[in-house]
Amino acid sequence: MRLVFYGGGDEEENISLNHALIKLVKSSNPVITFIPACSYDADIEFSYFARHFKKFNISRMINFPVDIPYTDILLKEVLKSDIIYLGGGNTFYFLKKLKDVGLISKFKKYAIDGGILSGLSAGAIIMTPNVKTASFPSFDCDLNEEKLKNLSSMNLVDFEFFPHYKNSIRYEDELKKYSNKINRPLYACPDGCGIILDQDKISFIGKSYCFYKGKKILLKAA
Amino acid sequence: MKSLLHSTVTKKIINKYDRFAQLNGNHPLKELVPEAYIEYKARQKKSGKVYYFNFALAKQLGLISDDHPEKMNDELEQKILETFNIVIINEYDNIHHIKHPPDTIKENTYMATRYLQLQHPGKQGKTSGDGRSVWNGQVTHHGVTWDISSCGTGATRLSPASAKMNKFFKTGDPSISYGCGCSEKDEGVSTSLFSEVMYLNGIRTERVLAIIEHKNGLAINVRAHPNLIRPSHFFAPLKQNNYEYLKKMYDYYVKRQRENGFWPDYPKDEMAGYEYFLTKLANVFATMVAQFEDEYIFCWLDWDGDNILMDGSIVDYGSVRQFGLFHHEYRYDDVERYSTSISEQKIKAKYLIQTFAQMVDFLKNHIKRPIKSFEHHRVLKEFEKIFEFQKDKNLLFKIGFNNAQVAHLLNKHRKTVKDFRSSFSYFERIKSTKGIKKVADGINWSAIFCMRDILREYPQIMQFREGRLTHEEFIKIIKSSYATRKDLVLNPYRKQMVGLFQEKYMNMVEIVAAEIKKSVKNILCEITMRSSVINKYDRITGDAVTIIVDKILAVKQGPEEIYQIMHDFLYFQNHDPSKIKQLERHKIKNTKGVKNLLEIVRSYREGI
Repeated sequence: MRLVFYGGGDEEENISLNHALIKLVKSSNPVITFIPACSYDADIEFSYFARHFKKFNISRMINFPVDIPYTDILLKEVLKSDIIYLGGGNTFYFLKKLKDVGLISKFKKYAIDGGILSGLSAGAIIMTPNVKTASFPSFDCDLNEEKLKNLSSMNLVDFEFFPHYKNSIRYEDELKKYSNKINRPLYACPDGCGIILDQDKISFIGKSYCFYKGKKILLKAA
Repeated sequence: MKSLLHSTVTKKIINKYDRFAQLNGNHPLKELVPEAYIEYKARQKKSGKVYYFNFALAKQLGLISDDHPEKMNDELEQKILETFNIVIINEYDNIHHIKHPPDTIKENTYMATRYLQLQHPGKQGKTSGDGRSVWNGQVTHHGVTWDISSCGTGATRLSPASAKMNKFFKTGDPSISYGCGCSEKDEGVSTSLFSEVMYLNGIRTERVLAIIEHKNGLAINVRAHPNLIRPSHFFAPLKQNNYEYLKKMYDYYVKRQRENGFWPDYPKDEMAGYEYFLTKLANVFATMVAQFEDEYIFCWLDWDGDNILMDGSIVDYGSVRQFGLFHHEYRYDDVERYSTSISEQKIKAKYLIQTFAQMVDFLKNHIKRPIKSFEHHRVLKEFEKIFEFQKDKNLLFKIGFNNAQVAHLLNKHRKTVKDFRSSFSYFERIKSTKGIKKVADGINWSAIFCMRDILREYPQIMQFREGRLTHEEFIKIIKSSYATRKDLVLNPYRKQMVGLFQEKYMNMVEIVAAEIKKSVKNILCEITMRSSVINKYDRITGDAVTIIVDKILAVKQGPEEIYQIMHDFLYFQNHDPSKIKQLERHKIKNTKGVKNLLEIVRSYREGI
């Protein structure tokens, strides 16, 4: 599988990660699909996204909000894209909408079959086993206004992901506490940092951390 | 030195809201066109508080400094109330010898202007005009002078009620609704919200500066615009054959346009000036009415030239709507009559230009000839030409072509553009087989296809497709919730139009690609980017505004919170790709409150 996890931030902060993402593509004329977490400002987010990826000579892009009606005609093209990019926003809302239309399994299959799946913040969390990391720390978390109870997600990797990490005591305490409750690593990435998973090889861009069984480990960047 | 510095700073702080003092009833129209208004003394109201204040607009007007925080303070609130929380002392008060404490009476008088209104019995503008508004004055900032007026400041003798019943009304008289001189808070919020969406998207409009709240849902709504003169301000003296009054009105208007820098090339020669005026207005009104049609804006235009300003700006949002689909059979029910429909707006706008041609002829020759004599005036041909050009241009922008591409297609490939427009209009105008239905405030015969959806989805799909969409796929994308199965039947002609739409669309893309030496896929990608903003799924409609206003009114918060909600909501209403970079992307709070409003916009996105 080829997956890219973005810790957050804008297009300029993510230049290195975007380069790494594009390097994974084999096609000479790739197609990227942008899936916004919410359609209300999808046009604005897509505009920034498309303008940025045009700099990488990508000339075919799709904007595909999942919380408004769409046709199978476009979905077929989405699933043929070289890259699917899951945007940032409210994780619970995004997960609910993806589940409502049955796209969790479709995107999972897409990734398993060789498509490059990437996600920023909420989009990255959605690629992991569950979205529990979106619900803490209490001072900076997504509100579960959808009252989503089943937090299981795509389960493409055996780690959990925490975006927008800030290297402070407050965050550290919360993440250590959480890591004690789970049996897998929890990767925490600040804005502009992220993880590249290319088949069996995992690499980190920027200063990321791993929390495991109450311990915090600084990860070596690629 | 220290004390000098201290006193300068203190002086600066004391004077920070001094510019409000200019809004004291004085206005040059009083001196230049004495026939154009009635003067009223006014008094300060004791009750009332600031419900909404448009900080951004106040900065544009120079009433507050550019770095003023978007927060209300006691001093600012006091200044707003002092300036705008007034009520006129009208004829009723004088006849009944109603006494008011002398210290509440404002020093200057305020004017209610006269203009033509079709609902008045005389039809000459002798009794009509600002029935519940007065002008506060004008402010100049960065070289532009703005007129400020307030609605809900008391009953004037120019209201339809006074004219019809031949009596003066007490302000707030509950026996008469439109004529009691009051305005309502929901009118203010609705106008504010709607006008800011229009303004954001390049539609000319009046704007709301402040809303002052009173008991029982009443309010004073303060409006601003660089020139609040309407065609009906001219048509009153024209109908009355009053040359002197008309000439003064004309000179006043031209003077303001020139001073504001809007008409820098206005000729020195008097006769050439008249021609300039007429040509300019034909251009303004043809462009405006084409834009209204293409943006599905319903604005009740009629022969009186009310409801619109001279530069084509929307004024008085009472019956204004924006439709989600081209509901071209909708008519507003104004009790005594039905309004014009959106398609008839053009006929009315053209008639206004015909009236201006008559007016200019009167100004030139001192003799008023019948309106019929101007049926074939050269300016009407010009109007038609501009209208057609604008319709083509608007559609190309709607597709998502950029300025240079639009110019190339219009200059070199007009026939292809026109052919595409014919197929586009065909689908846009198809109505439901269900026929005419009653709606909340009028009648409608629903359109069934959402053209925004095909313009948004088509370029995306065509980035990958080698062939065209099937007829069924095409209809699946454009069908709206108004369409029944019966409506969607694919007859041979409809199939032909599906083909024409796609053929001409792709022809234009290929032309542009060849011109700038880029691949067709590349152009389609660029169009996709722009079109996703222009034709976004959600679009505010009149129905949505009504519901949103109720939600905003239910929020029990202060003026800065109301301003913030509106500000954040507006972030999501932009349909102009060139403005994306200016939007303060990181400052927006997509709170639950704002999300609720967006859900309303979505629910009514196809409505009226």
